[in-house]
Amino acid sequence: MALGFWGVGLPLVLFAIVFCRTAAERAAVGLPAAVFGLVGALIYRAKE
Amino acid sequence: MRLAAVDWLFIAWYFVLSIGIGLYYSKRAGRSISEYFLSGRSLPWWLLGTSMVATTFSSDTPLAVAGIVIKDGVAGNWLWWNFLFGGALTILFFAHLWRRAEVVTEVEFIDIRYSGRAARFLRGFKALYLGIPVSCITFGWVTLAMVKIIRVIFGTSGTTALAVCLGLTVFYTTLSGLWGVVATDMLLFGVAMAGSIILSVVSVEKAGGVAALVAAVKAAGAGAGKDTLAVFPPLGRALPLAFFVALFVQWWAVYYPGAEPGGGGWIAQRMLAGKDARHAVKGTLWFAVAHYVIRPWPWILTALAALVVLPGIAGAPPGEMEAAYPRMIAFLPKGIAGIVVASLFAAFMSTIESVVNLSGSFLLNDFYRPFIRKNASEKHYVAASRLLVLIVSLAGAGFSYVLGSVRMGWQLIMELSAGIGLVLLLRWYWWRINAWSEIAALSASAATAVFLKAIPANGLVRGLGAALARAGFEVDAWGVGILVTVTVTTAVWLAVTFLTKPDDPQKLLAFYKKVRPGGFWGPVAKLNGRAYGLQAAPFAGWGLAVLMIVLLLLGVGKVVFMEWAAGAAYLAAGAVAALLLSKVIAKIDWEGRG
Repeated sequence: MALGFWGVGLPLVLFAIVFCRTAAERAAVGLPAAVFGLVGALIYRAKE
Repeated sequence: MRLAAVDWLFIAWYFVLSIGIGLYYSKRAGRSISEYFLSGRSLPWWLLGTSMVATTFSSDTPLAVAGIVIKDGVAGNWLWWNFLFGGALTILFFAHLWRRAEVVTEVEFIDIRYSGRAARFLRGFKALYLGIPVSCITFGWVTLAMVKIIRVIFGTSGTTALAVCLGLTVFYTTLSGLWGVVATDMLLFGVAMAGSIILSVVSVEKAGGVAALVAAVKAAGAGAGKDTLAVFPPLGRALPLAFFVALFVQWWAVYYPGAEPGGGGWIAQRMLAGKDARHAVKGTLWFAVAHYVIRPWPWILTALAALVVLPGIAGAPPGEMEAAYPRMIAFLPKGIAGIVVASLFAAFMSTIESVVNLSGSFLLNDFYRPFIRKNASEKHYVAASRLLVLIVSLAGAGFSYVLGSVRMGWQLIMELSAGIGLVLLLRWYWWRINAWSEIAALSASAATAVFLKAIPANGLVRGLGAALARAGFEVDAWGVGILVTVTVTTAVWLAVTFLTKPDDPQKLLAFYKKVRPGGFWGPVAKLNGRAYGLQAAPFAGWGLAVLMIVLLLLGVGKVVFMEWAAGAAYLAAGAVAALLLSKVIAKIDWEGRG
């Protein structure tokens, strides 16, 4: 499950950098990317 | 609208991840029926609560909310926000009882609570009714909504993607059971929310930013004599009856999937799958917060932006108002559109997988096992479950093709069961309720609904409508219909309850010992030698839970409109309510062994 969250979060980071045109768009994509990364990390830690 | 290659790549990647997670759990799900339908009763609160909210977040939910906001303004959402009163009731008064009951499905509850032939009939009837027509209508409703989205976004070119999505979802759900469902739900809810947030931000930017959006919506509303941004209906005018019914009747009387009085359907399934009663309570609380506080504002913002950037949408037919939501995707840049389209697929998949798993559980546990093949091996039942899930999926997909008007079909299901809520609540807390009470409630509710459909302008409706109008209400047919159905149904099931014999005392005693409910169990408590009283704390908890959710809902609303001071005040008050609620929850003896 953790891999799934990182698997979505990583492309979102790339998309925020490559495709977003405005600061608001970058924030709107970057914030969920960060949340995906964090939730993935929490699930990974919980499993360990 | 044409998606770029990178958009399709993201959608394909998202499918691979979801299906990978689903399949990962297929071996574990195959061990037993308990693993297949209840994840071995080992789910932590955050997983079961997120799964509840993911399932309730369907592909058509943002469209429905967008349609409400465009037509009736933000206050129109009380048509579904009212269910938070019932949701809070489920958290404080029913979640722990469901978990203690240790049944596999909500229908099996009938077997441990009632006795006699009426109970056997009710169990078989409800298994088939919930497992086939209700599931097929839900499946068809959700699928047709997704087809509508696909057509708005792609024309007809997206139907292949939808068929592939549906096939893959059914494939991994059939193999992985509830384990696969709840695990993928975590990811699907995340993707669905990310897509909603991204779409709302881009939509608001397109409308000129928050300040320009608010000014434009206020100006347009002033011209039409309404306040679209108001969170409550305006005071000083006739109160709409629909609002009154929603606030004071609907949440305890109407059986609505995902907001059943006392919990039912996929909500009950997840409470039953919790590690223990405390996890069931906390998971249901997390569901309520995510459902009412986190989900709606991105959809509301997108709908308000649509009012500004899509000319003529305020006067469009209801179907076009709802289609405004997917139409806003056209404003997204390359790469980002793929995320939002994937989010709609995520919402679709999370509902479909839960519906087919749940209907399989009814058909296997409450029809096949007790009535067709008793005492077979767990391996046999798991294989039969997988087959039933597959059959229900195929039936649901077929139903999508023949269903012309899903809305009418779904409304009929709601109207047929409009008055049964009270009996579903009281069956936990009053020993005198028996199988005949439920049968009478179901029959009276259905008969009244059919009567009101056949003769809508009858004397009863006219008389009640006139009396309510004199009392100062803005009367509508739907509100009057619900009030008539609830009154007739309640009178009938109460009369039937007192005219029929109570359940077998030994059956009631076994239920009382196992579930340990408080309330009105006088003779059974005497037989038990000990009464389990109703604690005062859940009543305080209910008030605090409602207050917390409303304050947080309003606070988030203020923050998204950049009213920082008001937002901070509401959120701070909501946090205080949350703190007090956590103290109340910590104090309650959820296992009831004290």
